[in-house]
Amino acid sequence: MQVFKTFMKIIRSKMGVAMIYVGVFLGISIPMATSSTSSEMFAQQTKIDICIFDEDNTSESRALTDLIGQRQNIVQLENDRDAVIDALYYARANYVLIINEGYAEKLASGDTDELFGNYHMHDSYAEVFIGQFLNEYVSSVRAYIAGGEDISSAIEKAEKALSQETEVRTASFEDVGSADYPIRFSSYFRYMPYVLISVLINALCPALLAINRNDIRFRTNCSCVKPAAHTLQIFAGSGIFVLLVWVIFVATGAFMYGGIYQGKAWLAVLNSFIFALVAASIAIFISTLSPSQNIVNLITQVIGLGMSFMCGIFVDQSILSDGVLAAARFLPAYWYVRANNMLAGIDAFDSAQLTEFLVIEFAFAAVLAILTLLVRRLKYSGVSALKVN
Amino acid sequence: MFLHNLKYEIKTGLRAKELIFWLMIFPLVLGTFFKIAFDGIYEKTTQFSTVPAAVVEIKENEIFRSVIDSIEDADEPLLSVTYTDEEKALELLKNGDVTGIIYVDDKLSVTVAGEGIEETILISFVEQYTTQEKIIKDTIEKNPFKISDVVSAMSEETDIIKQIPLTDGNTDNFAQYFYNLIAMVALYGTITGLHITIGNQANLSALGARKNCSPTPKSISLAASLLGSYLVQAVCMIICVTFVEFVLQIDLGSKLPLVYLAAVIGGMTGVSMGFFVGSIGNMNYGVKLGISMAVSMSCCFLSGLMVGNIKMLIAEKAPWVNDINPAAVISDSLYCLNIYNDYERFTVKIISMLIISAIFVLLGFVLSRRKKYASL
Repeated sequence: MQVFKTFMKIIRSKMGVAMIYVGVFLGISIPMATSSTSSEMFAQQTKIDICIFDEDNTSESRALTDLIGQRQNIVQLENDRDAVIDALYYARANYVLIINEGYAEKLASGDTDELFGNYHMHDSYAEVFIGQFLNEYVSSVRAYIAGGEDISSAIEKAEKALSQETEVRTASFEDVGSADYPIRFSSYFRYMPYVLISVLINALCPALLAINRNDIRFRTNCSCVKPAAHTLQIFAGSGIFVLLVWVIFVATGAFMYGGIYQGKAWLAVLNSFIFALVAASIAIFISTLSPSQNIVNLITQVIGLGMSFMCGIFVDQSILSDGVLAAARFLPAYWYVRANNMLAGIDAFDSAQLTEFLVIEFAFAAVLAILTLLVRRLKYSGVSALKVN
Repeated sequence: MFLHNLKYEIKTGLRAKELIFWLMIFPLVLGTFFKIAFDGIYEKTTQFSTVPAAVVEIKENEIFRSVIDSIEDADEPLLSVTYTDEEKALELLKNGDVTGIIYVDDKLSVTVAGEGIEETILISFVEQYTTQEKIIKDTIEKNPFKISDVVSAMSEETDIIKQIPLTDGNTDNFAQYFYNLIAMVALYGTITGLHITIGNQANLSALGARKNCSPTPKSISLAASLLGSYLVQAVCMIICVTFVEFVLQIDLGSKLPLVYLAAVIGGMTGVSMGFFVGSIGNMNYGVKLGISMAVSMSCCFLSGLMVGNIKMLIAEKAPWVNDINPAAVISDSLYCLNIYNDYERFTVKIISMLIISAIFVLLGFVLSRRKKYASL
């Protein structure tokens, strides 16, 4: 077990780097998965954040402000052009409305030209929605005035008419929003591929590179350890490390889950285990190419960030373009995220399709393992110390 | 001697592998991924596009159909409607092909699959129709002879909102990730800056030991190293901005020469920060590098590299943080150039960068001077 012991000794020296990644991941993902707000990076809004500057300040304008306040979120901004620009750009407010001076008078007289002003930045949903609402409000008030009501009664009746509720049903398709594996908790597993890749490549690769260094390898080759035993011991060491990292994540997940995983959550655990195998296969494959530490850093960033951005880990798959998703199908994280989305109920659950996703992920690990063996055979078969040097 | 030192500082700077990786390759890789991920998101999430809906007619309603037809005939229609049966409509909703289903019966009702602004717009449209129905009903009950006045008041085209345009710049708020990417490269200049003190401190490098026993005054040697590092960093910044603007095709605004200027000055701030961090204490290179990277990345995080609107939250709770955070100042300068039509705030940001740089350099010189080594 000399090789195994040495390998574990090297791995221990890399634990610091690995634990930094683990700590950062847990530090970011735990608040995300446990917070009451949505963990989605581009969460859908149902209410519009609107800022109203009431330059008319009459009972009519205040009535409109109150009505908007009942339906949307009113945000307060400094009445300063720069502050408005910043708020609209950084989406602190979705719409900035000015109720122009003379609003009440104009409304009563039936003159509706430029009752309002709107600081315009984006041709957004908020612009369309609020524009539509204001048009409806004003035309309702005008209609009641045309019907013989005075302004205050027209406003009151328009508000009543606008407050009528439409019957709205929410269609819940089969298995949407699984109780065993809630969407909020699924974000913890969603971010896991990035950190598994980062930890395993950054910690496993240098250890494998060290033990496969030519001088060490030649020394081992001329020892009594058989090549098969040598490979087996390295595999055992790598396996224990991968298992350790994966268990840390799964155990922390269980803690956040509130106990033992239930139902579909176990499938998410299986999904993450298969991805851990994929990440380990990537790390082992990279190490057979004997890159330098700088190149290992570069590869980690390229693979980790690349998969995360392209496959739907950092940005929801539903927002990514078709071209990006088409390319992402050739990456294992894409299938991981699809399986995770299906388990969380974001996509409709289909057990046959889920099995297909998991098999595809596993196939990536298998192909990488075969490639690793192939490269090792080509690299080391019949190579003498002199040739390598 | 100054020029001799400057020449070798530039040469070594451009040959350092870690500088090439962190200041040139890594930003290009990260920028490419930003582009892949964020391309088209602004159009999808912020900009309005027609809301697809299915209509299931349980009972025929000619008026509703004519309203839908008139909406669909508009240049930029609010809704795009598919008339179908319930089964097909639910299938469309399940596949995400429509936002919701409008059921036309005695009363209108809506079925949606989730919550979002598109769903809200669809529900609001149905509510408007119901409102108009109620107004007509109220009028028929109270003043039936005024019905034509009421209908014409409701259908009259009005121009009630005057739009006040705020900017001619690129309003895609995902561009801020690229401003922060440029700020990140600028702050990675701390690695370049760190080399100045490492290369001049006798207890930290062989080069430092050699320089310390040379007759060149330390101030000259440090000034040459600092200028050399600024120039190397400027090259990195120019590469980064060029890549973002011309390769990734991110619209950084119409004032491109000033974007380059802001990036180069931002790079100076990063180098100066590294020079200062390197001058603190006698910690080895690894520790100082760790501190530099941690500080740089924290500054970038607070500036919005990872979470886009964090800068706005900080502006509300503790605005002074954005004024002293070099990454926020750099990304803000690029944002101001793009969004604001005047140069007032941009100038303030540039002056802030120069002041921050001057403070770091001054502190760096103060901490580096009069260091003597009895033995190494």
